Amino acid sequence: MQYLKALHKWTSVVVGIQLLLWLISGFYFVIMDHQDARGSVYRVRPPVQQIDHQRLLEPGLILSRQQASVGLQQITLLGIPYYLLTHEQGLYRHFTNSYSLVNAYNGELTRINEAMASSLARSSYNGPGTVVSALRLAPPVADLPKEQNSVWQVNFDDDINTSVYLDAGSGHVIGHSNDDKRFADFFFMLHFMDYGSVKGFNNIQIIFFAVVTLFLSLTGFIWTINLIANGRYALPFVGGNKAIELIDKNDLSIGVRRISSRQTLLDGLIEHDIALPSSCGGGGTCGRCKIVTDPIVAVGAADKHYFTDHELALGYRLACQHKGAEVKRLKLLDVVNARKHQLILVGSEFISPSIKELRFKPADGSKLDYRAGAYMRFFIPAAKGCSVPLRLPEAFQPHWHHIEQLEYQHLACSRSYSLANYGGRQELVFTIKYQSAPNNRVLPGAGSSYLCNLEPGKTIEAAGPFEDFYALPGASVTAGAEQQQKKTRVMIGAGAGMAPLKALIYEQLEKLNNKEALYFYFGAGTEQDLIYYREFTELQQQYPQFHYLPTLSRASDSWPGARGYVQQGLKDKLTNMDCLENVEFYLCGPTNMMSETIAMLRACGVEAENIAFDDFSR
Amino acid sequence: MKLLKTSRKVHKWLMLFIGIQFVIWSVSGAYMVIFDIDYIHGDSLVVQHRDIIDDKQINFPLKQVLARYPQAESLSLGSFVKQPVYRFSHDGQQYMVSAVNGDLLSPITESQAKAAARYYYSGSGIITAAQLISAHPPSELSGRHLPVYRVNFDDFASPSLYISALSGKVVTKRHEFWRGFDLMFILHVMDYQDGDPDNKLLLVSSLLALFAAMAGLVLVYFKVFRKKVPGADGNSQNPVATQGQLNRESV
Ligand code: FES
Repeated sequence: MQYLKALHKWTSVVVGIQLLLWLISGFYFVIMDHQDARGSVYRVRPPVQQIDHQRLLEPGLILSRQQASVGLQQITLLGIPYYLLTHEQGLYRHFTNSYSLVNAYNGELTRINEAMASSLARSSYNGPGTVVSALRLAPPVADLPKEQNSVWQVNFDDDINTSVYLDAGSGHVIGHSNDDKRFADFFFMLHFMDYGSVKGFNNIQIIFFAVVTLFLSLTGFIWTINLIANGRYALPFVGGNKAIELIDKNDLSIGVRRISSRQTLLDGLIEHDIALPSSCGGGGTCGRCKIVTDPIVAVGAADKHYFTDHELALGYRLACQHKGAEVKRLKLLDVVNARKHQLILVGSEFISPSIKELRFKPADGSKLDYRAGAYMRFFIPAAKGCSVPLRLPEAFQPHWHHIEQLEYQHLACSRSYSLANYGGRQELVFTIKYQSAPNNRVLPGAGSSYLCNLEPGKTIEAAGPFEDFYALPGASVTAGAEQQQKKTRVMIGAGAGMAPLKALIYEQLEKLNNKEALYFYFGAGTEQDLIYYREFTELQQQYPQFHYLPTLSRASDSWPGARGYVQQGLKDKLTNMDCLENVEFYLCGPTNMMSETIAMLRACGVEAENIAFDDFSR
Repeated sequence: MKLLKTSRKVHKWLMLFIGIQFVIWSVSGAYMVIFDIDYIHGDSLVVQHRDIIDDKQINFPLKQVLARYPQAESLSLGSFVKQPVYRFSHDGQQYMVSAVNGDLLSPITESQAKAAARYYYSGSGIITAAQLISAHPPSELSGRHLPVYRVNFDDFASPSLYISALSGKVVTKRHEFWRGFDLMFILHVMDYQDGDPDNKLLLVSSLLALFAAMAGLVLVYFKVFRKKVPGADGNSQNPVATQGQLNRESV
């Protein structure tokens, strides 16, 4: 199918313009006036004149006097009877022919001269014009591309520039031409791609284009059949909801739910408070929203990436990559305990030039419980966005100076953000980085700008919380976990990778009252970017087991702390740490920092099971 | 982006209805342009004999023809399988009279028609059937040629010559490829109502096709000629590849 689509695309590049020309000229042929297009507006039959049979000479006599002929025809031109002798006869009239014209009363050989041609032309013409010129033309003749014989062209000075064509040998009126016909001929030329050849529509260029077009239309046809088979032709207005039968892990039916045919299954299911695991929020990049459905459902690129051929054949698909319209039945493999909530924004504050702290409360006044490190998926509606944040504090304005102010429209989407506090509290806190565009050809992040520009008091829908990243099982649990008590925890974050770590730190210290050592390495650019600096410094004073180690890569001279990247500081620390098997590492930050850190930890002998990371770039 | 989306929708939906016709157009169009039209027209089926009329053979003068048929019109002298003949119309009827002896030759007999067909046919196949058609011509034959003998040859692509029963001339010829061409032409111009010049079906189809193709060209423009716009969010043209990148824009 992929090759077929590529073939469709590239063949359309090749024939696209010509296809349009074919359709335009074809359309013109349908709507054109066929009478005009033939050029015969002013054409009439010459009057039939009576001839005196008695005066006709014997044909045999004429034949004996003239050169060898294959035929003789008695005709009348301008009221005078002639014998038209055919010496050479082509299969068609426009093929090479040779004629003689002999007066049928006196046997005189006649040649069509300018005056006679003009008179003959006039007798076939009933328009308002008069003859302006008569020319004897040898082939090729522009108006008669196929003609192989000499012709007389008699031109009239009427409104449409009529030209009458006569066969120079026989005086036969070949046809009329005029501007209307020439206009139509122009379209015929386009349609037949007949640029100057006499091959008509059998020219090489049209054959080439016709074959390519054949591929274009056949691939398009198969594609369409495929779309139909995959239910991609669900009407957007009719039957907006589709009944889908849900089956649980044990193959038992849970019943039928109606899911919007245009929504992804991931988003459709959450409407029924069925949350599938997902950490990319529907991007098709985390591979966690697995379901099983009919194997005939089309396989997308993301499906291919996350499933083996065997699984694909069994019907394994990613729920975020398929619409309600595509499936009839689906099996849920893994349902997460999460629901959809209405959240009210109660606070929105800049804590760095590009990071905001957003505080939400569930609209129904409930408290959500979850393990620290969880995230929620926000349903961002389609809206107008703005490249520069609204209500920017004065101090942070210089940071945005170089960004061009522009408005843009974005579509509805969903985005996930980690919670910056632990569960069971009144508020849900998020630290969201305003994702500006790297250049002006790219739109800024729709989710972050929408949320950061949201007015306090407004509501938004979000699903979750999803617990995906949390303090490892056993380690954080309070009761009966004696043997786990000795674990040291190291949190490593950078840039915007703050929220889940902050939640974990507070959970450990404040909620669980964990006395074990807890290190927090946090890297940022400048002092301005170092969010929650004061809070962590205070926390360090309050809890002696907590060590806060901020590192700045572009610090000012007055910065008393560490400089460089977090990984470096951490490395020094690791080398004088013993019992590495008793240390757990929690990572969150930009991809590069994470992969480097993980590589470094592994090199130092840290077991993979002791490294937890929240890769928000996926 | 709006234009791209609309175009994709227009293209997809219009093609659902008009797609078949696109296939028909391209198949029939390809057929018509690939086969050489002169071959299609059966030009290779007949030989253009150069039969010079020998004036010494003309023993039956025109005067006598005119005496017998005083209203004769459109007179001509030619040959029918090498024998000189007069052809003319009289009272709206076509006649063929021998110029050698004045015998009325028209309408010709079946064996004469066969002889004529064999004389004009360029191939070597044998005649399988000859049939006089005087009413209800097949679609490949114009009614104005009636009555006519259809002479079939046992040869590649089953050629037929149509010999006029009145003039003895080959009025037309056909073989399977021409018959195919006729069918293709009908399909190409959607002429399902027998030559109705007011072809509403074709009008509507070509208009829809035009829109569908223009939408397609917009897609080509976006997909091929314009650099991909990897939106910082999911609104790009390639959601799977780029959406993930910044899906969780922050934590
Ligand atoms: S939610 Fe489907 S792959 Fe991430």
